[in-house]
Amino acid sequence: MKRKLISVLLCSAMVISMLAGCGKETQESAEPAAAEQEQAEESKTQETEATETEQAASDEPCEIYMFISSPEYADAINELIDAYKEVAPNVTINYETTQNDYPTLLKAKLNSGDVPDIFSSTSGKEIDVYKEYSYDLTGQPLQETIQDSVADSMKSPSEGTGLYGIAIKGNYFGIVYNKAIFEECGITEFPATLADMEKACETIAAAGYQPFTTGFNEWWVHKHIWQHFLDAAAENAGMDVAELVAKFEKGEAKVADYPELYNNYFGFIDLAIKYGDDKPLETALDGELSAFGTGKAAMVLGQGAWIEADSLAIDPELQIGFNGYPVSDDASQCQVISGSDQSLHVYNDSEVLQQTLDFVNWWYTSDYGQAWFNDVAGVVPPVKTSQTSNFAIINQGDELSASAGAAPLAICYSTDSWHQTFGEIIQEYVSTGDKDAACAKIEAQWKEIEGAQ
Amino acid sequence: MTRKVKKQVETIVFSMPALILVCMMMYIPFVMSGYYSLTEWNGISKEAKFIGLQNFKTIFLESSDFVQSLWFTMKYTLVFVIASNVLAIALAVVLTKKFRFANFFRGVFFIPYIMSMTIVGFIWKFIFTSGFEKLYEITGMGVWNLSWLGDTTLVFYSVAFVGVWQSLGFYIVLYIAGLQAIPQDVLEAAIVDGANGRQKFFKVTLPLLGPSFTTCIFMSLTNGLKVFDIILALTKGGPGTATNSVTMQIYKEAFTNNHYGTGSAQSIVYFLFVLIVTQLVLKAFSKKEVDL
Repeated sequence: MKRKLISVLLCSAMVISMLAGCGKETQESAEPAAAEQEQAEESKTQETEATETEQAASDEPCEIYMFISSPEYADAINELIDAYKEVAPNVTINYETTQNDYPTLLKAKLNSGDVPDIFSSTSGKEIDVYKEYSYDLTGQPLQETIQDSVADSMKSPSEGTGLYGIAIKGNYFGIVYNKAIFEECGITEFPATLADMEKACETIAAAGYQPFTTGFNEWWVHKHIWQHFLDAAAENAGMDVAELVAKFEKGEAKVADYPELYNNYFGFIDLAIKYGDDKPLETALDGELSAFGTGKAAMVLGQGAWIEADSLAIDPELQIGFNGYPVSDDASQCQVISGSDQSLHVYNDSEVLQQTLDFVNWWYTSDYGQAWFNDVAGVVPPVKTSQTSNFAIINQGDELSASAGAAPLAICYSTDSWHQTFGEIIQEYVSTGDKDAACAKIEAQWKEIEGAQ
Repeated sequence: MTRKVKKQVETIVFSMPALILVCMMMYIPFVMSGYYSLTEWNGISKEAKFIGLQNFKTIFLESSDFVQSLWFTMKYTLVFVIASNVLAIALAVVLTKKFRFANFFRGVFFIPYIMSMTIVGFIWKFIFTSGFEKLYEITGMGVWNLSWLGDTTLVFYSVAFVGVWQSLGFYIVLYIAGLQAIPQDVLEAAIVDGANGRQKFFKVTLPLLGPSFTTCIFMSLTNGLKVFDIILALTKGGPGTATNSVTMQIYKEAFTNNHYGTGSAQSIVYFLFVLIVTQLVLKAFSKKEVDL
């Protein structure tokens, strides 16, 4: 009997504690509401006193919850946060990042009401997806310093206005190559047309190097390569790349109508398979890095400015070159792409909105914040600054975009939902070689995924 | 009377914790996804638009991926159920024999089952790529140089193999328990009647394994139909859509394609499919069970 009593007691204790657990959430959500009221009242009284309301608000201890992707910059961002602690000692920034599955985790947080004060998405089309939750930063001090190309990709594509985010970095996309191997093979000029590229591959292969390392196992490698050809296709058809993307989304465009895509892109992929890794679909970013860093492969596909540090970690002596993709027979179309593919949003209903805005403004306008991009994070600064970078890819990207111009960042006109599917379609093409089936799938899926949104 | 009331109170109190948890984690989300399957929602915006049965129409008439993934899953389940049960029975029979390292081998086969599927997936991903490459360098045999995870036809066997390899230990344990429950006198009687080894196994042991058999078939069937983690860790459904299982497809539709409504509709359709298949199989097998 005694034993039974104990177990009944234990059981009910469990139920009660569980119910308590459920109840807590409502309590919690009630609390901030009260706090808000308090804050509102307080600020009212302060307003009547008419003394520096804003500063008083930031003097209160508060927490900014920052949940963003790009774990590669975790150390740099922690340094940034430490530096901000000195500027605003009362503001605590809870920084959280994840390697995997960021969009899914973010969705779970948005739906459970636990919206981060700063969160990230890709730029361009995804700005619209998260617009309901994003604060329009137009008119903030940072608008003065943000680079124009970056600001462009933070507009809402459906409205064409607004500044719904900031970037951790600008970026350069193109082919990263090993200058030493090119010199050894006697290639003095980067092959800027498809025919030249094929010849160069032959020479490099004859010299005993692997011309390409492709990383086709990663879905995002494909979008990075594809966008160069998409830019050329749009340019030669006399329209904006955004228009071309819109045509594909509506199901009005056919891949076969654009030789830059149908012949050149798939031709380039074939070339990459022929002169690339032995098992293309099993090589991912790490495989590319090791093939390139150890001096086995001459060119890296689908990557950009972000692989430099890791390649140099394998071989500090590596002479890194950077250029665009040969997309046609016109050498002037071999351009690098610049722009920002990531954006950080500020939550518009945030309880610490003012403090969050202060933080991002400080990041973009203060001396430390501006220098941070170069000195700490080592990225292409998304702000207007005259500092020069230590990175070869960034410097060459700057030079190339100044001399030959840079192509628009085509990937920002589509969401990663589509890009992921696109990657799968091209992976299938790599394995089967059925071009027309791949084109049919591109047309059908592009419409299905992006058309409805 | 009081005793009866007490008993009832006891039943309720004891089942409450489990019931609440199951409701919170299973039934409420299930009902909610039933609602979302009737809406157009991207999983992000604050409001979902009600569109009736449109999503179900899309699944069957417009989107080819779901039907394709259904085929893959059925193929995978068939191979998984047959391979894991046949191998498990064979190994269980061997492992119940008395020999020196019997317990050691039981442990060896059970260890993969304790490991998390994701870890198993990553280990095998490494073996398939780097491990096989090294083997090819050493042996020069062409088998090791095949692209086991990169070829659209081979990848099916790689995934099925790893799936079977991982869960084999569990079914072996169930079969060993079943084999040990078979009374020795029946087997002795068969020997006295002049049955040879094969007859003994097929006419006596196997029919008496009935209950274990039903359990194992049922478990492997549901596990095969629910396959997700192993594919996520090994191939993410690729290359292309070669290993796109239904669960993977639902996940992709809802979370990467931002079509939460269609994803929910797919999961509802799949739920009904699994329900029907498992019930049919279970009925068929429990009829065949033999009692002593």
